Amino acid sequence: MTVVSSLASHIDYLVAVSLFLTGAWILLTSGNLVKKVIGLNIMETSVFAFIVTTGMVDEGAPPLVAAGLQGPFASPLPHALVLTGIVVAVSVTSLALVLILRIKAELGSVELDEIALAPKADDSAGQSNQRGSADE
Amino acid sequence: MNKRKFARVFTMALLAALAAPLMYGVLELPPPGQADAPAHSNVSAGYIEHGAELAGSENLVTGVLLNFRALDTFGEVLVIFTAWLAVSAVAGKGSETGHDSTPPSPVVDYVVRLLGPFIAIFALFVIVNGHVLPGGGFQGGVLLGAMLILLSLALGRESVADLVPVRSWIWLRAAGVLAFSLVALLGLPMTGYLFGLPIEPALRHALMIVLELGIGIGGGAVLAGLYFAIAGVESS
Repeated sequence: MTVVSSLASHIDYLVAVSLFLTGAWILLTSGNLVKKVIGLNIMETSVFAFIVTTGMVDEGAPPLVAAGLQGPFASPLPHALVLTGIVVAVSVTSLALVLILRIKAELGSVELDEIALAPKADDSAGQSNQRGSADE
Repeated sequence: MNKRKFARVFTMALLAALAAPLMYGVLELPPPGQADAPAHSNVSAGYIEHGAELAGSENLVTGVLLNFRALDTFGEVLVIFTAWLAVSAVAGKGSETGHDSTPPSPVVDYVVRLLGPFIAIFALFVIVNGHVLPGGGFQGGVLLGAMLILLSLALGRESVADLVPVRSWIWLRAAGVLAFSLVALLGLPMTGYLFGLPIEPALRHALMIVLELGIGIGGGAVLAGLYFAIAGVESS
């Protein structure tokens, strides 16, 4: 009985954990690079949801002191930390996406299986191409 | 095929091994929403009690961002600027001025041109009211960036890139870093501390608005720049 009530009262955290595991599953098992980025984003979102939830107060107001709101106020610290996290997540996602676009342009695929096969097929062509661009 | 099946089973076992301690740890925490939980009774309680007068910001989140943890926010602004530098380095040259515009339909063209100024004004409102109302530099910056991306989707990328001279874009993207550096150094003569904001309320408000504008303009320009760089790779 205590286990059930404890599960019920921590449901917000448990949802965050299951989102995290879902993202990790996609990240680890998917062979498509874009899907890996989506999995990474789901993991990041779960961490943000978890941190914001720790700052929540039942019946609480947002932390705006002079807007005529009465306490208890939600904790402002997790909000500020998650804002930092979101900025980092956007940066990582955009860098990953542009790298994937370059991989697609160089190797012709975003599937890991096909990328593993690609260099063996035209290894010399790819290398001479790279040398040529480096000489420029 | 068999190898892939084994990999899936192995991943499943790995995630189950990860899930058990996560679930256990999460269940040991005090339930969310309890006002007397440790998360609410130490640092956060101090911010809520004294934050508004110490930081000069009625929105406590902005107070934490711009005052108590200004160094964190400076790092954050540097991260997103560095991300743009890295993305445009990977994307290569020519990505800023791609020609991808298909002629838009007159309806889309008209509606986007009509909406643009309203979005821009709302973004500015969110930025400069960040210390009183929900919002602030990052939120307004995202609105600004979304407006630039919307305009470039409907009217073509070059028409947005031509809004300011090409050489000015990098200064706009660095606006957050520059504003933070400026205010950090100004704090040295005025308060004796890097990132110190003066006690004088009017001056402090002015400096906070400078910071918010820097974050907002820089953030919006960086977001648009990330989009331009990524879209440029695709069309080249």
